[in-house]
Formats: sequence, structure tokens, C-alpha cells
Amino acid sequence: MKKILVANRGEIALRIMRTIRKMGIKSVAVYSEADRKSPHVLFADEAVCIGPAPSSQSYLNGDKIIEICKELGVDGIHPGYGFLSENADFAQKVTDAGIEFIGPSPEAMRIMGSKLAAKDSVKKYNIPMVPGIDHAIEDVNLAIEVADRIGYPVLIKASAGGGGKGMRIVEKADDMEEQMERAISEAKSSFGDGSVFIEKYVSSPRHIEVQVIADKYGNVIHGLERECSVQRRHQKVIEETPSAIVTPEMRERIGQAAVMVAKSCNYVSTGTVEFLVDDKLNFYFLEMNTRLQVEHPVSEMIIGLDLVEQQIRIARGEHLAVTQDDIKPNGHAIELRVYAEDPLNNFLPSIGTLTRYERPVGEGIRVDDGYEEGMTIPIYYDPMIAKLVVHGKTRTEAIQKMLEAIKQYKIEGVSTTLPFGTFVFEHDAFFSGNFDTHFVKNYYTPEKIRDKEKANAEIASIVALKYWLELQKRLNPFENKSTSWKRRLAH
Amino acid sequence: MTEKQKAFQVKANEFVFSFDLSDLEKVDMVSKSASEFNVISNNRSVNAHLMEADGTGKKLKIEVDGETFEIEIKDELDQMLDQMGFSTVSTKHIKEIKAPMPGMVVSVAVTDGQEVKEGDRILILEAMKMENSILIHADAKIKRVAVKAGQAVDKGQVLVELD
Repeated sequence: MKKILVANRGEIALRIMRTIRKMGIKSVAVYSEADRKSPHVLFADEAVCIGPAPSSQSYLNGDKIIEICKELGVDGIHPGYGFLSENADFAQKVTDAGIEFIGPSPEAMRIMGSKLAAKDSVKKYNIPMVPGIDHAIEDVNLAIEVADRIGYPVLIKASAGGGGKGMRIVEKADDMEEQMERAISEAKSSFGDGSVFIEKYVSSPRHIEVQVIADKYGNVIHGLERECSVQRRHQKVIEETPSAIVTPEMRERIGQAAVMVAKSCNYVSTGTVEFLVDDKLNFYFLEMNTRLQVEHPVSEMIIGLDLVEQQIRIARGEHLAVTQDDIKPNGHAIELRVYAEDPLNNFLPSIGTLTRYERPVGEGIRVDDGYEEGMTIPIYYDPMIAKLVVHGKTRTEAIQKMLEAIKQYKIEGVSTTLPFGTFVFEHDAFFSGNFDTHFVKNYYTPEKIRDKEKANAEIASIVALKYWLELQKRLNPFENKSTSWKRRLAH
Repeated sequence: MTEKQKAFQVKANEFVFSFDLSDLEKVDMVSKSASEFNVISNNRSVNAHLMEADGTGKKLKIEVDGETFEIEIKDELDQMLDQMGFSTVSTKHIKEIKAPMPGMVVSVAVTDGQEVKEGDRILILEAMKMENSILIHADAKIKRVAVKAGQAVDKGQVLVELD
């Protein structure tokens, strides 16, 4: 491969291009009119504007991207995450155009893109699944029958759903009819596919996923687990590896299960198998993400592999250079997603210009970002500014390093999830490792962040006032003398 | 004012504090250099860094514990001027709903002349892949809807006018 086009923007496009350059390959950036000054465009060897700001007219325009590849003699496309990364039709068109899609086959993407097809695919491999029904249902009586068998509460899920969308919890049989109707109509309108199924609702779940790496010759290994339980709005904010609760024995079992899931769909490239883990440490297959994951850097830090490099090597037909035995966890890594969101106001998007932007630096600190000082966060895309990733010899050391890095990270002009990170990393529940996906609901209150900010604001005010008073003394010595003169008179 | 006004009012970002000279005497602060200070407050040892100060020394930027605070100091005279200023501004009736952030209008839920109740949705504004409902803060009558679905709006742009 001589030239790779990165069909993405922001931090991930830049991160992929860095590896491309390291491997001696030329990079091509695509960008929308809103991203002309973005670091990924400035970094690339070649760059092409593909349209106006809205993603539907730019980063999602697959045909245009393939056209550009043909014009520029590109031999591989890396889709990053989001946008076209899990679009099987796009992957198919890329392959048909004689360009290498750096990722899995369109077939594997199709199977894993549908929750029901995925369940069907892994069925024969004895992968534990959440008790429930594994085909689409519409019949309320059948739904009630299934729920009686597995026990309430149950979850109605849209087969085509994801990211927490299209899910409904049903507590009792009486509510089933209404909730089924709503779930089906919601699934139809949101995903264009009304199929829903039923699963037992796991009440204190942890979200643990396993990195897999597979070449084109059927060799599949896993790259250990990632713990992603700290979420807001059903979306991850903090990830770490290894998980504080996974024992070596469980790591072996969950890792093997992930390898089997990958094998079930003849998976090629890097991918992620997500599991739900209950309070008794039983794990259940949830879904497979057929792409490079946002949080892949934590795995890279502890297994010592550049996963993008692995993807490119696999795409150009190389055999895996490492075996399962080579994969040993080295230390501990944690990631905080830095979003332009206000943690004091329900994590609402906080839009503006980065009036100050200084990254933390130090050993074991990695910042993957796509912004520079003075840039504006565009309204059209995901509000993630950066991923702050740290590595320490132990979990405690990594947490301490993270807290220090957050302090060093100076972002002004927009609110960010940095103070939320401090809250989590200082919290006993996180420190002990004893938390689940309800962390935010159970423990988070903006007041705690606000109280701390207020205490710091008060100190800043006192310092400022004392400084100013000193300045007055120096600037107006006469006035001060006169004051003391009056005071002397009064005595 | 019923409470006796303190000599200084200090604004630090969105927080406002009042101090007298006597309050300051209790504070244990040392300076390490012209711009580096250490304060011990409730046994907590905190370092502060003076980043900027304007000519008057009343507007400063100070960093504490990794956070930057924009500071504005008001002495008795400044506070008095402020109060005079305030008294001339009457409580204004809100006539318009403005966009709290730039974004794209996804849908508009109201029409010209419609009566709305507090908490009713006016429209949905999409910003950064998230849909935000813009709600009305009080019972009102819509005079004119100034935007339509699909339209991009800037922060502060008028969305609807109220009667």
C-alpha cells in the first residue's frame, strides 16, 4: 500500500495519519468546508474538500470519497470510527472499486450490525447471552410469556438500535402491551426497522469489552479487556484496562469468548466484542463493534501494539506478528474523553472557541486530539475535543497521573468534561473499582464540582484582593500615610 | 440594603464574594515570587498563580488548582456606582426567545398567534448531533415565529417573538 485515504475528521483522522506516516505511506485527508484549518488537513500529504459542513453532504458521502480515491490513486481507505466505518454497503463499494477497505468484510459488518443476526451467528459457539428471546417478536402475549419465564424486569430492544437508543424497561406484565407498541414504532422511526426482541434486564451491569485482532488467515487473538462502565447518556466517558474486577481466570474465559465471536463471522482486522457483566461476574455477549474503537489507546498502552498499524498490516495481507502468549498486560491505562460539554448543566453541548488550549505533557501521558488554540468547535459533529490517556505501573499510579494531567490540561472558552473526570477519579467508588454503568446516576452531583470550584474561586479572589491592596500601597504611598495620620489623630 | 455592605466585592468567573479588610487579615498567604502565592485555607495548602493583571490591578486572571479565574475587584465606590446603575433598569418583560447556542432548527412546534404554557416546547434545536428542546419559561402568546425547520441559527439569534 502506497497511499491511504482517511475517511474521517478530528482526532481520529490525525491519529490514523500519524501511523500511516510512520509506516512510510502517503496520507490523503478529506474535509468539509468547516474543517479547512483542522489539524488532520494540515498534517496530511494530500487533502480534498468533499463538501459543505453537514456530515450528510461531506463525511458521509461515500461515492464522492471513492471517486477521490480513484483520481488520486489511493489504494486503501481507513474509515476511522463513526461516519462510514460500520456501513457495509460502503465497504462493499470500496472493495468493488478495487480499493482495500481497512477493516472487516462487508459480510461481517452486516452480521454484527444487526443484534439479532449477531446473536444467531454466535449461537453455535456457546457464548453466554443475556436470557431472552433471540428473534424479532411483535406478539404481546408471546412477549409476556417470555418475560414470565426469564423474570421481570425485562428490556425491549430494537434489533437495529445502539448507543442506548431504542431500549425500554418493562417492570410488569400490565405494561408490556403499551411498551411493545411504543418500542416498535420508535424502532421504525429511528432505525427504519421495527424488529424488537426481549432480554432480561441486568440491574447493576458493568460494561466490559474485549479487543480482538484477526488476520486474513483465520488467526484471531484478543488484546485483553477494557472496562467502560462510567457512562453518561449511555455513552462512555471513561475507560480503563485492565478492569479492576476481572481475574486472570475470567480474563481467559471472556477473551476466548470474544475470539469465538470474531471467528463466528470470519472477522478480519481489529474489532471489539462488548459484554455485559452482572454483579456475580457472569458475562453475557452484547454486540460486536466492527471498527477501531474510540478507546483503543488504553489497549495500545498496555499491550504495546499500535492497533492502526496492525489494521494496515492485516489489510495488506500480512500474518499476525504476535501470538496470544505475547499479549501480557503491562501496567494500567485510563482514558478520559474530553467533550465540549457542561458537566454542571446536564452535559449539554458547550459551543465556542478554544481561547486557551494547552495540553498536559509528561511520561505516560498521551493526548489524541484534533484541535489547536483559537479553533471553534463546529456544531455539526461530535463534541469530543480530545482523549486524555495515561499509563501507570499500577491502577493507583494511573489514577494519580490522570488527576495531575487534568490539572495541567488548560481549556478555556468552552466547558469540558475535565472537572467531571476529576470528580470520578477522586471518588471512592471508582477508586475501589466497585461501580457499574449507573455510576453517574448513583454518585454524580454537579454540586460537588461547583463547591470545589467555589472554594478555589474564593481563594483566587482573596489572592487577587490582597495583591491589589499591596499594589495600592505601592502606587499611593501618600494616601496610606494620610490614612495613618488621621488614625493617629483619632487616638 | 439591610445587611451592612462589605468594603470589597470580588467577582471570580460566575462567583461573587464580599470581603472586609478584617476578613483578609485572617488569611494565611505567602508569596513565593511576584506572581506565585500559597494560601492555607481550612488546612488545605493551595498554590495560586497570577497570570495577568490590567493597569488598574482590578481585573486579574488567577489560576488555582488548575482552574483559571477571571477576577474583577470592586471597591466601595465601584459598588455604589453599580447600584445607581441598577436602579435605572426596570425589570424587563421578555419579548423574544433567542438561540442559546448555534445550531440547526429541526422542527418548530408553535405557530404565529399561538398561546403557550410554561414548559411547552417551542422548537427543537440540533447542535453537535444532539437534539435540544427549547422550552418556554412562562405562559405567553407567540407573536411571530422567526425561524423555520432546517434553518441554521447563530447563538443569540431570535427564534420567536412574544406578545
